Amino acid sequence: MYSFLPAVAEQLFKDIQKTYQETSQIPDDLLLALKFVFGSCALQALDLVDQRSVTCVSSPSGRKAFQVMGGSGRLYTCFMSCHFCPCPAFAHTVLRRNEGPLCKHILAVYLCQAMGVTQQESVSDQQMSMLLSGTEIL
Amino acid sequence: MSARKRKRCSKDIKCVFFPDDVNNRFLKADREPSSRSCVSSAKSWQNCGDSFLESPLIKNLKSSGRKLSHIRQLTQSKSLVQTSAIHRNEDAVNIAWSSSDSEQPDDETQNQQQRPKRPARPTALSQYHTREKDDLPVIDTDSDLDESEEDAEKDCGQQISDCESDDEKPETLPQNSPENVKEQEISDYMSDGETVTCTANSSRLDCESFLLQSGESSRRSVSDWVRSAQVMLQTPKKPLERQSKTPEDSAKKKRKFQSGGLAERLNRLQSRQRSAVSFWRHQSISETSTATVDRPGKLVLEVLEVQEECSMQLALCEHQRPPGEGHQHSDPLSEESARVLVLFNRETAAQLIPAPRDIIHIYPPWQSLSTEGFSCDIILNTYFSQKVYSASKLAVTSTPGGVLSAGRCRPYSLCKTFGLLEVGGLTEESSAAQVDTFGSSGVLTRHCPSLLEAIEALGQAGSVGQDVEVVVQRVYSVPVPESSSVSILKSKGPFRSSSAAPSAEKGRTRLCVLVQDSYGMFSEVQLHLLPCKDDLHQYIHMWEGRTCVLRGIKVVQRVTRERRCRLFSLIDSLWPPVMPLKDPGNTSNMSTECRPAGPAPSFCYLLSGQESSVEPSEEKTASPVYLPHTRQTLRDILQSGIKSRRCSFVATVLYKRTLQSSDVGQGEVWLVLTDPSLQEEQPERPCRRSVALCVNTSCVLTSSVLRALNSPAACRMSFRDAIVEHGVLLCAEMSVVEIYSVDPKGNLESSSARPESLSQSLSEPWAKTLPQPVRLDPLSPEITPNSLCSLSGVIVGVDESTAYSWPACNHCGSDNLEKSSETHQNFHCVSCKAVVDKPDMKIQLEVLLSSSLSNCTLKVKLQQNTIMSILNSAALEGTECLGYDVENVLGKEVGPIAAFVRVVTRKPALWIGLEEICLWGDRQDKSANDINPRASAGSTDLHTRPCSAQPPVSSAPLRRPP
Repeated sequence: MYSFLPAVAEQLFKDIQKTYQETSQIPDDLLLALKFVFGSCALQALDLVDQRSVTCVSSPSGRKAFQVMGGSGRLYTCFMSCHFCPCPAFAHTVLRRNEGPLCKHILAVYLCQAMGVTQQESVSDQQMSMLLSGTEIL
Repeated sequence: MSARKRKRCSKDIKCVFFPDDVNNRFLKADREPSSRSCVSSAKSWQNCGDSFLESPLIKNLKSSGRKLSHIRQLTQSKSLVQTSAIHRNEDAVNIAWSSSDSEQPDDETQNQQQRPKRPARPTALSQYHTREKDDLPVIDTDSDLDESEEDAEKDCGQQISDCESDDEKPETLPQNSPENVKEQEISDYMSDGETVTCTANSSRLDCESFLLQSGESSRRSVSDWVRSAQVMLQTPKKPLERQSKTPEDSAKKKRKFQSGGLAERLNRLQSRQRSAVSFWRHQSISETSTATVDRPGKLVLEVLEVQEECSMQLALCEHQRPPGEGHQHSDPLSEESARVLVLFNRETAAQLIPAPRDIIHIYPPWQSLSTEGFSCDIILNTYFSQKVYSASKLAVTSTPGGVLSAGRCRPYSLCKTFGLLEVGGLTEESSAAQVDTFGSSGVLTRHCPSLLEAIEALGQAGSVGQDVEVVVQRVYSVPVPESSSVSILKSKGPFRSSSAAPSAEKGRTRLCVLVQDSYGMFSEVQLHLLPCKDDLHQYIHMWEGRTCVLRGIKVVQRVTRERRCRLFSLIDSLWPPVMPLKDPGNTSNMSTECRPAGPAPSFCYLLSGQESSVEPSEEKTASPVYLPHTRQTLRDILQSGIKSRRCSFVATVLYKRTLQSSDVGQGEVWLVLTDPSLQEEQPERPCRRSVALCVNTSCVLTSSVLRALNSPAACRMSFRDAIVEHGVLLCAEMSVVEIYSVDPKGNLESSSARPESLSQSLSEPWAKTLPQPVRLDPLSPEITPNSLCSLSGVIVGVDESTAYSWPACNHCGSDNLEKSSETHQNFHCVSCKAVVDKPDMKIQLEVLLSSSLSNCTLKVKLQQNTIMSILNSAALEGTECLGYDVENVLGKEVGPIAAFVRVVTRKPALWIGLEEICLWGDRQDKSANDINPRASAGSTDLHTRPCSAQPPVSSAPLRRPP
């Protein structure tokens, strides 16, 4: 069976990006659509966006990753090329039960990217490798 | 109220099931009812759900049994509700509820009176803490309760069956009901996911569950409720203001969500929406039996397929006119009859249970999302959905697994990201759009605009890695030497052979294009071998003048002007460019940074590729950079005075001569051409009346051209990029010869690349008809070899050493005769297989003429017709090959005849060797009108044969008179 949800999500992000570039606003109907597609994640992710919790970390070697500051202050590292988040919601809702396409952290990454409000930060190659391998304690 | 009871009930159950959670939860609920508490409870419930799945049945029965009793208790005793509410003593809300309960007896009557106010009601319900008694919706519920207790119980059961599609009776429900209630609650908590106060939270839950259950007893129309729901959604200010009246509420919200942030806005929106949905759902359930409401914007859909994806259900639906509503007016969507994909969230899906062939109504405000790559739109926000016809009602109610009819979609690949993650992906896109190509091409892909840049950035093994955008200026073919089986790289171009030896027999030809980039740089790209020479026209038609992308090309050689003067003569003819050139230093902006065209480039690169290496752009029109051939008249060409250059023209071929004894197309060919401009009299600008053109072996002649040259009919041809050198025309490499036809519809061979319209071509000078007969220059001392002249004079001598005669077939004219064995005089014609009893006698005769030119020896090889007219035909017939007297011939007048100049020797004295010819244009006329009256009627025309000497069958030299 063909999976439609990714396409829907992608289109939503595109629409948000386009509208935000033009008007610096996300209209109500797009917010409601987000809520409809992503459920309760949407509100939490938007809160993360409001807090500017998403940072794109890049190293001189060209590697990049996203770091999302969770509500509790914990940093979650999300990857660029695939959907993964070390948060429990991801493990449970997305991986185990397949009840949602994303967790709030990854959704926040998408929204920040669409709105262009991702913070940028450079780290050393060593830090990056630790970050990506999960050995870094932040 | 029943809902409220159930709510409490579920909480009670929860207390029972999760004793470890209880303290936690109630503390949190009272003190800090944050989302976390909700989530934690939800987790507990999920754990519970898991445990249900895994634990033995007995346990479930036991626990649920207790729950059921709770329900019954609660539903039956109103006082218990009140006490429990009071017992909770959360806030004034409960008091409000209970106080409204006390007003209950009046409500039946009030119900009618209050109807106009209803739109405000949902607001009031969700914000009941404002204590506006008028708006309290309790009235209805209580009246419901009063009507019958059984209703409540039935409702309860119905709700359960809605959720689980279980048709078991309420008594056997226990397994399901706690889970149902629990799930309902969990989903509500989950969707809340926010820090609203516990009271607000619970109140909303109350509303929802209450609506879900108290359904059928209410008699209000759906439209009423939908309208009220709409009002809810469309008046954003009101609830906000009301909310702000509750201090703790707003305080908590501020703490959680950034003020003015997106989350805050969504939170506001979704609480409004939730209320509206709840109300609507309540009413829609109650109205399922009654006629559906006709509202603009309502979608009437038939479900075709359903699949479940990430706990949502995706239904492929088709627009449909609802049955029995033929008058359905002004519903634009139903007329489209397009398919749509409808997405239902978990709650809606659980309630709706969409299944194939169901008819579903979706009320606004729904949203439509058109997605790239999908033909149909996707409908979102389908909260206001209602199933009006269930195709599988029986099936659903009879089989326990009916809900799971929707196929579950496999989880999408986590590697498939939803775009946007790659940083800078967007900027790349926009910069790609900036790549401008000649200002005319719409190609947005990134192509290198410069040949030199692409060549400089050479990849492996001399191959050009980048795609280069160029304009194809010329398409031509070059002969490939038969022997050169080696690759073009090693032979360093096939052109060296062309000047050395005409070994390009058998005619394998290679397609070449001359391209130019936007900086003015040229390159010749040598492409594949043409399977047939005539394919060239097809490529000319496809490519010439078009903007193309070169890909997969290799560098063969860098050549300079000195090494490839022919190529550069073509390049020079394309210089200066018609468009301003881009400045190589400034790649971005070409409109302002143009440089004047300097001298033509002094070098260029030879490239090689395959047919696929040239890819024309989408545009069908010629590029503005393309410099098409400009046709000139021969007079203009001859009088221009430029020493060496390329030119294009149309001319009539008067005469063809191969220098070697070979057919046209194998070896050099001389053509004598003329056109109307040369034929007309211009005393002030005297010019030759005909001009010779040499077709080099390096110029490929297509089969149609060869056919025309070998046929006796006169033909007009188009010569493109011929070379004028020292007053002599030359068709060599890169020249293209085509049959010229004024018929625009005519064959492809007529100027195939840019066919002019008929009117245009008729107005062109070369389209005029030639005068008949064609006029030739009179013989003059300045005459050059390989040209034509008209000649007349008196025979002063006969070259006896070259004179001979031979018999030929009187039927077919062939000289291939065999002697018959019996009789000496009889021949047998090999060609027409006939006995030749009276063979025609052919004579070769060269005479010396004296003409108007003084001090000049003219030796003319005469044609048969002329010879016959000179000789006494009667004598020929009578004497039967016995010979002729020279005296008979001397003093005879000859001419005017057309003659081809073979040799001109100017030292020690002017000596011109000529050959009488038959002009192509005159040929038909001559045979028809018999211009030469003295010619014998029986003579045949041999001129279609090559005019070089033929081996005689027998020799009958002229005899001197004794």
